[in-house]
Amino acid sequence: MSREVTIGIEIHCELKTKTKMFSGAPVSFGAQANTNTSVIDLGHPGTLPCVNREAVRLAIKACAGLHCTIDPLVKFDRKNYYYSDLPKGFQITQQFHPIGKDGYVTIETEDGKKNVRIERIHMEEDTAKQFHKDTGTYIDFNRAGTPLVEIVSRPDMHSAAEAAAYVEALRRTLFYLNVSDVKMEEGSMRCDINISLSYDPEKLGTKVEIKNLNSIANVQKAVQAEIERQNAALDAGEEIIQSTRRYDEPSKQTVLMRKKEGTVDYKYFPEPNIFPIRLDQAWIDSIVNSLEELPEQRLSRFEKDYGLSSYDATVLVNDRDMADFYEEVMKHTKAAKKAANWVIGDLSAWLNKNGLNFAKNPADPKAIARLITLIEDGSISGKQGKVVFEEVMKGADPDQVIKEKGMIQVSDDGALLEMINKVLDENPKSIEDFKNGKNRAVGFLMGQVMKASKGQANPKKANQLLTQELSKR
Amino acid sequence: MNSKFSAKEAAKAIEALQPELNAAVTIVEDPQDNPNQGPLAGIPVVLKDNINSKGLRTTASSKILDNYVPVYDATIVEKLTNAGAVIVAKSSMDELGMGGTNRNAATGPAANPWNTAHITGGSSGGSAALTAAETVPLAIGTDTGDSIRKPAAYCGVIGVKPTYGRISRYGIIPYASSLDTVGFFTRNIPDAALALEVLAGRDDHDMTSSFLPVPNYAEDLKPSVEGKNIGVFRTVSDRIVRPEMKEAFEKLVKDLEAAGAKIVDVTMDEKLMNLIAPVYKTIANAEATANHSNLDGIRFGVRKPGASVEEVMTNSRTAGFSSYVRARFVIGSYSLFEENQDRLFRKAQKIRRLLVDAYKALFEKCDLILAPAAVDVAPLIEESSDVRFGQDRFEEEHMQLANFSGYPSLTMPLGLADGLPFGINLTAPAFEEQNLFDAAAKIEEIIDWKEEPACLAK
Repeated sequence: MSREVTIGIEIHCELKTKTKMFSGAPVSFGAQANTNTSVIDLGHPGTLPCVNREAVRLAIKACAGLHCTIDPLVKFDRKNYYYSDLPKGFQITQQFHPIGKDGYVTIETEDGKKNVRIERIHMEEDTAKQFHKDTGTYIDFNRAGTPLVEIVSRPDMHSAAEAAAYVEALRRTLFYLNVSDVKMEEGSMRCDINISLSYDPEKLGTKVEIKNLNSIANVQKAVQAEIERQNAALDAGEEIIQSTRRYDEPSKQTVLMRKKEGTVDYKYFPEPNIFPIRLDQAWIDSIVNSLEELPEQRLSRFEKDYGLSSYDATVLVNDRDMADFYEEVMKHTKAAKKAANWVIGDLSAWLNKNGLNFAKNPADPKAIARLITLIEDGSISGKQGKVVFEEVMKGADPDQVIKEKGMIQVSDDGALLEMINKVLDENPKSIEDFKNGKNRAVGFLMGQVMKASKGQANPKKANQLLTQELSKR
Repeated sequence: MNSKFSAKEAAKAIEALQPELNAAVTIVEDPQDNPNQGPLAGIPVVLKDNINSKGLRTTASSKILDNYVPVYDATIVEKLTNAGAVIVAKSSMDELGMGGTNRNAATGPAANPWNTAHITGGSSGGSAALTAAETVPLAIGTDTGDSIRKPAAYCGVIGVKPTYGRISRYGIIPYASSLDTVGFFTRNIPDAALALEVLAGRDDHDMTSSFLPVPNYAEDLKPSVEGKNIGVFRTVSDRIVRPEMKEAFEKLVKDLEAAGAKIVDVTMDEKLMNLIAPVYKTIANAEATANHSNLDGIRFGVRKPGASVEEVMTNSRTAGFSSYVRARFVIGSYSLFEENQDRLFRKAQKIRRLLVDAYKALFEKCDLILAPAAVDVAPLIEESSDVRFGQDRFEEEHMQLANFSGYPSLTMPLGLADGLPFGINLTAPAFEEQNLFDAAAKIEEIIDWKEEPACLAK
């Protein structure tokens, strides 16, 4: 019997607002240090917080997208602790009355679909960013006061794959809702993962927290490594120490950051400078009712309307820009499966090769759609299609390319039969092999036919006619 | 509003009184004329040293802010400047507002202009003293638990704490945010009405500031108590110590009746009254300990060296605060600990609610409540102390009811005992400042105060 793994995840997401949670200072990533701050962000004496309405709006969207109950009475609390990245000496958060409660997100792994419950979503402000160097500690207050939502899951995940799928599902949802940039590598989405192992599912083991994960791939690797580490430690009769660890990429191990000695008392109490704010129900409704299409809705639409496989649909939907482009292509062609293959395959590879992504995709969806239609109706072969594609990506018109390169595919029965019979006449050995049950002879002969046609034979038609002629011999 | 002095003269007068009063922390060297021609054109104004003034040192009488020069103006400083006023000095206070004696200032105690051996009261003692000494006609203070009204009574001037939310708190170094109220000192009620008109109003930088429009308090001022129901707070007035104070108070009650007021006696359960001080201290210390966590020597203020960031913070805070303030931080933290919150901080908030309900109920019988501001005159500096745990008497703390409830409340001088002033306290329901000023203006006529302190600006 193996130990049961229990995983709960806390995710901090920076909200995509123009200004900070409680001040008018701009929010921007990568600006020169300490240029996007105000006296409020720096915790100067006498400053007071002012709630950013747009941040509340985005938090409501996050709640709605994650199926949470929204509390129309917004209240804030102080979380007190001393740290040099916390200018006021307290963080304004929502400890006692989170804006959202009791939601869920659907995840999909090899084991199928399941819902992971979300305990709460609350708004808070980010801290400053510290840089520890040989010459001292440097603090950039640009990040201080950036609006955040913290999303806390229930301990509903039981494997590294589920943990990664959960982070991916949240990331995708928040991105689709335009709530956050969700860039793990830039820190606009950060996850803290709590893992514990136990034989008895009723009694959880000591939990260990993993922080500072910069990609979803690393979420899976880190969780797997930590599960293995804890299993090995427990097998060796060691005790698991409550601690915070990080994932070390080179060694593929989790590494101890600090032990947790008792829980910190943050002395939470209601923020006296912000009276409770009663949100207008009509405002909440208008936000909830005009929500963008959620990824799971798009997934089922792709499967239903385009007849795509679950795999293709998922790959497309995971990248909103890719899915958007696919939908543009589908406005001009009916070859849904072929279009998915081209977008996921050749186009992705081309963008990758050129250091681009779907957000910066130069392709003309109409031209790509035309190319796909031409292949689908047999006007050109797939092989020819690849040549045309390269030209289309340079801005050429597919019909023009085909014309210029004289690429029209040979689909005429008479012409094809002539070529096939010539090939058969020249390869009596292969015919004999075929008759002796060696099927790969067909492949060889097909290759010869394509060669004879200089690649212009319609492969589907040619294959059909070749089989027909072979059986006559 | 009239000023005895120009801004430049006022600054000099304050300077001249420093050896006797020690009421200023910073005096503007050569106050510049303000070209704005508003209702306070050319009027010299003193700010309590917890009110941020851009480019002018603001220490809140704490060592940790000894070098702090604000980079922004408090909203009320902008309002005063727009109205034509000229800031001439920052006045001494109990460190960070914590205290009622003005002994606990980094620059030492401020002295009472009527007798410099006595305290001014606090925490806005410097502002009270400088108004009483007639250096300026208007000085700004803050009132968290009678911090304007008590020193006003001790120094024989008018002290106004308007409704919570009436004046923006943006740019005021806080003490306890749910109780802090910006107010001021003047020497007559018309000046007080005008001052509130200038200072009041919604400020988007302060989410607790009210959207209610600001009335024309000064223009609409009608000195009258005719037909007003005035509740005499007997639970407090029964405890007046000095016979001459008692006599003066009762005479005023009679005069008010003669002037057309309907007098009703109001009382409150003493058991409840005894909870005022502990509730106040529990809430105020808890909020203060969080509010002052920003004072760590890292981004501003006096930084003490240390081997690590944590050590710098610890050393700066240890050296930067007086032991009295540090003790209050510890008490505040203690009441917020998870295991203590239910029986201390949260309980105090619940009792605050009970006190407010009981206080509010008194106003069902009257429009205003009249009480003695204090039951005795200002004590000697030597004999007074803020460190008197468990020795609080409700008759000295009753004005905190107006902080719990947020109600507008003022004190004004009534008479002298042993050469020291004593005063009355008048309180109205929320946002009824006009009614409060109208009655106070009538009382001003009745009392006809003409006394002058020993230390007077010349």
